[in-house]
Amino acid sequence: MSKIMTVDVLSSIKGAQPSETVNKLFEVIKNADTSNTNTPNTNHNNAVSLDNLREDIVVDSSEAEKQIIIENFPKEKNGYLVVSKVIEE
Amino acid sequence: MDSQIRHIHEQLVGKHITCTELVKGKLEALKPNTHNTVNALLDELALDLAAKVDTKIANGEEIGLLEGIPFGIKDVYMVQGTYTTASSDLLKNYKSAYTATAIQKLLDAGAIPLVKENCDSFGHGSSSENTIFGAVKNAINPELVGGGSSGGSAVNVAKDYTVFSIGGDTGGSIRQPAGYNGVYGLKPTYGRVSRFGLMAYASSTDCVGPIAKSIEDVRIVLNVISGMDGKDQTTYASEGILEESISNVDEIKTVGYFKNFIESEAIDAQVKSDFLATLDKIKAKGITVKALDFFESNTLVSTYYTLAMAETASNLSRLDGTNYGNRIEADNLKETYAVTRSENFSEETKRRIVGGNQVLSQGFSDEIYLKGLNLRDQISENFEHDFKEVDIIISPVTPSTPPKIGDSLKDPLAMYLSDAYTVGFSLGQLPTLTIPQGTETGMQITAAKTNDDLVLTFANFLKDTL
Repeated sequence: MSKIMTVDVLSSIKGAQPSETVNKLFEVIKNADTSNTNTPNTNHNNAVSLDNLREDIVVDSSEAEKQIIIENFPKEKNGYLVVSKVIEE
Repeated sequence: MDSQIRHIHEQLVGKHITCTELVKGKLEALKPNTHNTVNALLDELALDLAAKVDTKIANGEEIGLLEGIPFGIKDVYMVQGTYTTASSDLLKNYKSAYTATAIQKLLDAGAIPLVKENCDSFGHGSSSENTIFGAVKNAINPELVGGGSSGGSAVNVAKDYTVFSIGGDTGGSIRQPAGYNGVYGLKPTYGRVSRFGLMAYASSTDCVGPIAKSIEDVRIVLNVISGMDGKDQTTYASEGILEESISNVDEIKTVGYFKNFIESEAIDAQVKSDFLATLDKIKAKGITVKALDFFESNTLVSTYYTLAMAETASNLSRLDGTNYGNRIEADNLKETYAVTRSENFSEETKRRIVGGNQVLSQGFSDEIYLKGLNLRDQISENFEHDFKEVDIIISPVTPSTPPKIGDSLKDPLAMYLSDAYTVGFSLGQLPTLTIPQGTETGMQITAAKTNDDLVLTFANFLKDTL
């Protein structure tokens, strides 16, 4: 099944349309000359080395943190988060 | 060396003022919210902490340099139990469940948080007008914008409402408002300060940094907030910068500037002539000044915004009102997401999310997003080449002076282009400091990655030279 995802669907923003202002920025990139480049991928060197990975263990949140998370629930019932029904398409 | 922090520290230790008096005075000054800088006052917390500092002093205990120093926090940082709104409708009632690493380090050092500061919503803007708390007014002329996105933070420092503030800089959001309000603002090297607890805008350029009234205060705060953090694995270990190490300019022999920035038609005539006069003064001190080639402003701005929009579309996709935020119920789950986001995001935030999803979608990603990444690599390579020839690069902060409140919202393209001189250094992840000298909106000093100390050294030199 082929379905075209428009930007309003991709963005979960009703009636969203591509902006002319932003398209002008994209035009600059489209027209930029990147043919003669052989640059190393310098911007992807921020990854942590394997030796420095943190331990893969669960760290329990503090009681205060848990309480605030519950306080932030948009809708709550008996201490549980209430969400809309998930629909299948 | 000028330092408000040292001056207040001496006053506290010498018992010329109590910490409670100090904090009360600052809170009183912030309360009328004359410049729309205040999203929330942390008065109860601040006064409680101030009383503890006073008890320590009264008991003859030693206090640290930052102990009792009042500071402000851009409202995109988590501070446990306080509202963290990102100046947005979506999070206007959101409470932080935990505290950002940089802020925690300041709290551990005894600094006292006073205020969560107004800013552009989610960092989306260059004027601090894109906020539900009212446009931030410039500290020098309140008819003009405060700059952005850390506008509230820069104005609070300029007005002495806070001793220093912690801003966030993704494409110039510390440096530009610092320039617009005549204070210092540092974007450290990417990774020097942990981003944990900073609401993500564009993760590959988001930086945490101080805004203050002196180079020494920038140095003191930077040393406290820097360091490796397991919760942000892009951080690196760094040495503290010593006061004496930034007073000797001898190691700086050559300074570069981008000639296309200065030859641009967009630059204000006064900014240009002031900048050129500054170059002459630097030359007169025996430092070699070298003109450098750089990418056109259009390319820099377009590359930055393309990548930043792609990243913010991903980062903000979590904000759907399910677990937190101002959920607006609709017929089903998808509708609830869509209505919540449509009603709660500002026009500017929506523009950026939509733009980001556009460039990340099939058919566009190759010709725009991947090309943008390629351009970013070229920009970084250009910097690497430049820093083999020069020790420091200086540039104006903005092509022109701050716009009137209301003008940027009418012309978003003009707002994007006003970031032309700041975004390149963000893409390069370089340490860059705005100083309140050189042009009406200040000047930027940039060094190679991790050379934050050199930036402060040159700032010290210019303080005495200009």
